[in-house]
Amino acid sequence: MSDPQTPNNQIPEENAGMAARGSNKITFLPPDAPLLRVDNVSTTFHTPRGDVRAVSNISFEVRSNEVVGIVGESGSGKTVLSRTLMGLQPRHGVTVDGSITFAKRYVAERGDAIDGQVPENPLVGFEVARAKESDLRTVWGVEVAMVFQDPMTSLNPVQRVGNQISEGLRVRQGMSKADAKKRAIELLTQVGIPSPEERYRAYPNQLSGGMRQRVMIAIALACNPRLLLADEPTTGLDVTIQAQILNLLEDLQRRYHMSVLLVTHDLGVVATRTDRIVVMYGGRVVECGNTRDVFYGHRMPYTEALLKSTPKISNSSHSRLQTIPGRPPDILNLPPGCSFAPRCSYATEKCHQERPELEATENEGHFFACWNPLPARKTPPATRSDASEIGVDSVRD
Amino acid sequence: MTDYPPQNSIHPSPFAQSPPAFPREDHSIHEPAMPLETIDDTEHGFDKEKRQSLGWFFWCCVVYFALNVFVALFANHLHLTDPYLTTATNPNLPVNGGPTSANWFGTDELGRDIFSRVLYGARVSLSIGFGAITIGFLIGGTLGVYAAFRRKKIDAVLSVSMYTILAFPAIIFLLAFTAIWKPISLNKIIILLGIASIPAVYRVIRGSTLAAGSREFVMAAKVQGASDFRIIFKEILPNILPTAISFYMIGVATLIILEGALAVLGTSVPPPTPSWGNMINEGISYINSPNTGVGPWLVLFPGLAFCLLLLSINYIGDKLREHFDVTEGKL
Repeated sequence: MSDPQTPNNQIPEENAGMAARGSNKITFLPPDAPLLRVDNVSTTFHTPRGDVRAVSNISFEVRSNEVVGIVGESGSGKTVLSRTLMGLQPRHGVTVDGSITFAKRYVAERGDAIDGQVPENPLVGFEVARAKESDLRTVWGVEVAMVFQDPMTSLNPVQRVGNQISEGLRVRQGMSKADAKKRAIELLTQVGIPSPEERYRAYPNQLSGGMRQRVMIAIALACNPRLLLADEPTTGLDVTIQAQILNLLEDLQRRYHMSVLLVTHDLGVVATRTDRIVVMYGGRVVECGNTRDVFYGHRMPYTEALLKSTPKISNSSHSRLQTIPGRPPDILNLPPGCSFAPRCSYATEKCHQERPELEATENEGHFFACWNPLPARKTPPATRSDASEIGVDSVRD
Repeated sequence: MTDYPPQNSIHPSPFAQSPPAFPREDHSIHEPAMPLETIDDTEHGFDKEKRQSLGWFFWCCVVYFALNVFVALFANHLHLTDPYLTTATNPNLPVNGGPTSANWFGTDELGRDIFSRVLYGARVSLSIGFGAITIGFLIGGTLGVYAAFRRKKIDAVLSVSMYTILAFPAIIFLLAFTAIWKPISLNKIIILLGIASIPAVYRVIRGSTLAAGSREFVMAAKVQGASDFRIIFKEILPNILPTAISFYMIGVATLIILEGALAVLGTSVPPPTPSWGNMINEGISYINSPNTGVGPWLVLFPGLAFCLLLLSINYIGDKLREHFDVTEGKL
């Protein structure tokens, strides 16, 4: 598959996997390199029933200060992808192909500067897919952090939340106990937790779901990561808290100048909060592009079906919610053709036989994979509150 | 470690800031930057910290257990009758005498005071129970945590060998070694019982480490960059502590019984030492002989001491596990 994105400056081929396992060769990246570059990544699970390719040939990029949404149904490979991007897949039984390059802040270690030449604010490429765990640890937390899906299980039940926040600060940033506590309380305030001094001493079971997710976000932000990977951060929460958490994430993204990779099944979540969207189906990218292009000028019938099945507040009451017929594909035996074909109303014989590759539209950076695409539409210029126009109610409070 | 810009400052971005394809809707315009919504959504009541009461029976057990420990520690300061004093030194002592005001639990076939011997017996039983299970936890627990954390080959090798040992009856192993490793003493019994308890401890600790290690908060700690050492000591160990404490107490009880079994078979600590098992073993030969016509006190009181101590230990262990058990259901 060709690289759907057209970065201004490609990472030179020989530099792509330089922090690979065992080699400590440092190569500096061009200053406008993307923060995260996912190139042709596939994740295969070796199971007794055969190899399962949960994620196939995914390529996309996250630039700095950018919010990218990954959207798909359950079973589309979103969570596998996010774990793969973090380097969290177990070493045995799973194969990760392709390359995941993270532009890491350069820290001089053991005199490894090349010929004594260190550019200003240099970045080095860090190959996540083949990195050792000890190398990943230099990236986890300080460069890339993760907010998990279920705040009920992702906090240690027997440690006070304050300790869980300040621990990262003390270990990773070498803060003193008092400084770390001060900073942790500051973080708790920033994520909107009332009376943070008291909550600092609370155990997770004394906090509600929304509060726990705020604590998780505070933990993730503790060491100033540049990329925050939020894997369905609002799934376990009710709608009003969802909106609060999403607004919080957005506010913090602006304040900390982070990039955010927002993994979700909810188009309402990504509608007004992302710069770009990647739509996944059956472990593959079926459409990706700027948020406006995807919402207004989507070409892939699956994106259309997803948009149509989103409940809208403008619907008359008791009107039937549109659904996508059929079930998500069984990734153990994917059809030879387009994996959405069995559920697609536009499907032809060709769709069942041959898999479409991603092809570009006239919009820059907008790609889709379909034999019978919807007619191209011109994306209208940006206006305020597009969300209601394109027919999706974004999650707002 | 890494040198970072001061907190809250803008990262000096090395990227040429390419403008986004189209401006994102700026929510921050109509929202206050700080503080964000400070809505108190503590539904569960932050201050209403409630702990279930442990119940009066638990405290009875604790008092009884504490009494045993106290007696075991300070038996020689309690001005008891000498438990080794026999008719050989004092021919006036009653032989196989029933309970009297002088000998509360009666006397045995050598005229020794059973009350005093039962109290001294607590010393043997408790030191064996706690000593042996501590050895078991030090070795078996460490191996269990290590195997569950490392997985792969080391786990496979350790687990197979532990289950092989577990399949072999412990009492046979103990009888064999007490027969070989002569002369047998209290320390040797503690070491042997400790070794015998390793596989069981290993199995329990490995299982709960596996369960705790696969929970999401361990992964969350990992992506924060926590080292293996930290994950084991800060994330996993506190979470397996309830199981460990409970199994520790149950292990104490089981090993006390095992020592009793060995003593009744005559291969535990050598006879003059007052141990409950030894007392039962010696008493059995007199309890049923018609010509002496003795009462049941020879085995009743050491048996009762066994029974009550084990009951209290088991109950304490169980209640503690219930009390400290932080399960997802309760969160």
